[in-house]
Amino acid sequence: MGVVGAGGISRVHVDAWHRLGLDVVVFSIDGRAGEVAASVGGRAVDSLDDLLAAVQVVDVCVPTYEHPAVVAAAAAAGRHVVCEKPLAVTHDAAADMISRCAAAGVQLYPGQVVRYFPQNAVAKAAVDAGRIGSPAVLRLTRRGAAPAAPWFADPALSGGVIVDQMIHDIDYARWIAGEVETVWASVAGGDFSSQQVASVVLGHENGTLSQLTGGWGGPDQVFTTSLSLAGSAGLIEHTTRGRDPVQWETVQVDDHRGALLPDADPAFSPYLFELAEFLAAFRGGPTPRVTAADSLAALDVALAATASAARGEAVDVKRFLG
Amino acid sequence: MTLRVGLVSFAHVHAAGYAALLREWPGVSLLALDPDADTAPAGELRGAAMAESLGVELAGSAEEFWARRPDAVVVCTENARHRPWVEAAAHAGAAVLCEKPLATTLADAEALVAACDAAGVLLMTAYPVGFHPAFASLTRSVRAGAIGTVIAATGTNNGGAPIDHRSWFGDAALAGGGALMDHVVHLADLLDVVVPAPAVQVYARTNRVVHADRVDVETGGLVAITYGDGTHAVLDCSWSVPPGYPAWGGLTLRVEGSRGAVEFDPFGERLAVYSGDERWQDYGPDLDRLMLAEFLDCVRTGRRPRSDGAAGLRTLRIVLAAQRSAELGTTVPVGGS
Repeated sequence: MGVVGAGGISRVHVDAWHRLGLDVVVFSIDGRAGEVAASVGGRAVDSLDDLLAAVQVVDVCVPTYEHPAVVAAAAAAGRHVVCEKPLAVTHDAAADMISRCAAAGVQLYPGQVVRYFPQNAVAKAAVDAGRIGSPAVLRLTRRGAAPAAPWFADPALSGGVIVDQMIHDIDYARWIAGEVETVWASVAGGDFSSQQVASVVLGHENGTLSQLTGGWGGPDQVFTTSLSLAGSAGLIEHTTRGRDPVQWETVQVDDHRGALLPDADPAFSPYLFELAEFLAAFRGGPTPRVTAADSLAALDVALAATASAARGEAVDVKRFLG
Repeated sequence: MTLRVGLVSFAHVHAAGYAALLREWPGVSLLALDPDADTAPAGELRGAAMAESLGVELAGSAEEFWARRPDAVVVCTENARHRPWVEAAAHAGAAVLCEKPLATTLADAEALVAACDAAGVLLMTAYPVGFHPAFASLTRSVRAGAIGTVIAATGTNNGGAPIDHRSWFGDAALAGGGALMDHVVHLADLLDVVVPAPAVQVYARTNRVVHADRVDVETGGLVAITYGDGTHAVLDCSWSVPPGYPAWGGLTLRVEGSRGAVEFDPFGERLAVYSGDERWQDYGPDLDRLMLAEFLDCVRTGRRPRSDGAAGLRTLRIVLAAQRSAELGTTVPVGGS
């Protein structure tokens, strides 16, 4: 297993690949590959070519704007690919990654890990079992600290908060309620020195409505998510938070614990479940629950939402895509 | 001095709660009137039977009701029937607590506000949630800068469909609409306090997935409000709480600031009681009692309540814009008069 990149998500993936019994090779341009590889007894290499020569699968954990080049190189070398979400910051770049992998005959799976969180997976199974009847109104929220790496703050490099973070809940809403027809969005804040909040209203083709709330807060922002799936015959609710009449989430500037990713026991982590399913597919097993086409569809909605926020008006997703 | 309080109509689901509180209220004598009781479907407890079950005195006619010269009147008719009763109260010089929404059209709402203003009588809109003591402390802290500048909010006000108790809630002519008309105003009123700028624009989507076989009005709704300072708020007003839920529903409001956030859950103080099925038992303050206390105090002192007729009008304008937006599929400005 070759992991490209040595940032926050790389460490989580490297640990998971090791638990899945794979030898891990790491390449990164930031000088941290040796440290990350050593944490699981793997080895670091000095170039992408060296990594491609040494592995059967490439896991792309570099910054989003570098995804297309690394995925293209992996496909050209005939290696299966795992690529972190979002696949890219534009539709064309993501579509090109998918067609290159298809043309090279290699599999490509996206790091849309939310489908592997136990509460999300069990809720989806309950919906499929008819426990809420027809989905009517969904609410999904996701909050965390703003990522520390400076490139996240530049929408041209990360896509911004909707494309980078909310794409998780867009993917989940699509999984539950199907294709999205219309989107309205607003982003408040917008400056990395203060909290940023994104609100999105989705109209699905089947009539379901989804309210998504995302946001990047200060370094002490607690990582929280919640879901509420209301349907014609039932309701599913989950929150990672407690219950008091008033709950404060203020930023304490003297405390830099950081909370970009949820806490998870690495032996029971959604990342481990996700990568195990991808690995099984690479080995000839069934298609994973999330595909690169799903990730592209979520990206398209995220891009339409970002455009809606800029225009101050609702956007028709099909018309937006042309 | 005893205050003579009149309760007009058992049509609204909140009437029973107000009646139970006012019946026992020290210094208050209560007289009820249920004018359109005979238009209600069979099986809905109204009129003399309802008065008897509540233990309140019922006037036999409107003449008898007004002849008792009420100092204050609580109007709990169907939404579309508020106006004549509020105008009659104003004419009689009685202070008014009007169930929300004030009316189903801007013309009716403006007329009843004008009637009270012209008569110099107090008009209060029944928005109980803002009387939770935690909301006052939240408001103080937010104004003092605890979360920086307010930039956004999300709110939920979900419940079962009130059509289970009063079928007129599903009748567009009497209710003025479905979940949008029923549930947007409470949150809009809290935001009216928290956000320093007025609401200027609304985007709303609705559907009718829940109870599709029972009503013609919308049962699901998401409403995005944009305020003059750029703050946005997205509210879920759906009647999406299924039978078997441990409570009638609930309301939450999360206010986002540049430096943090605060979440308000006025029905969050509760026990989970397992006794055959799971139910939530509230132990928080009785918001109806706090609202009635404010109303009665304003009646006695002549003080103006915060949730006055103007507040009721501002919030109704948001609902009417939301209805228009849901129809057009575009953002709609919040109308003036």
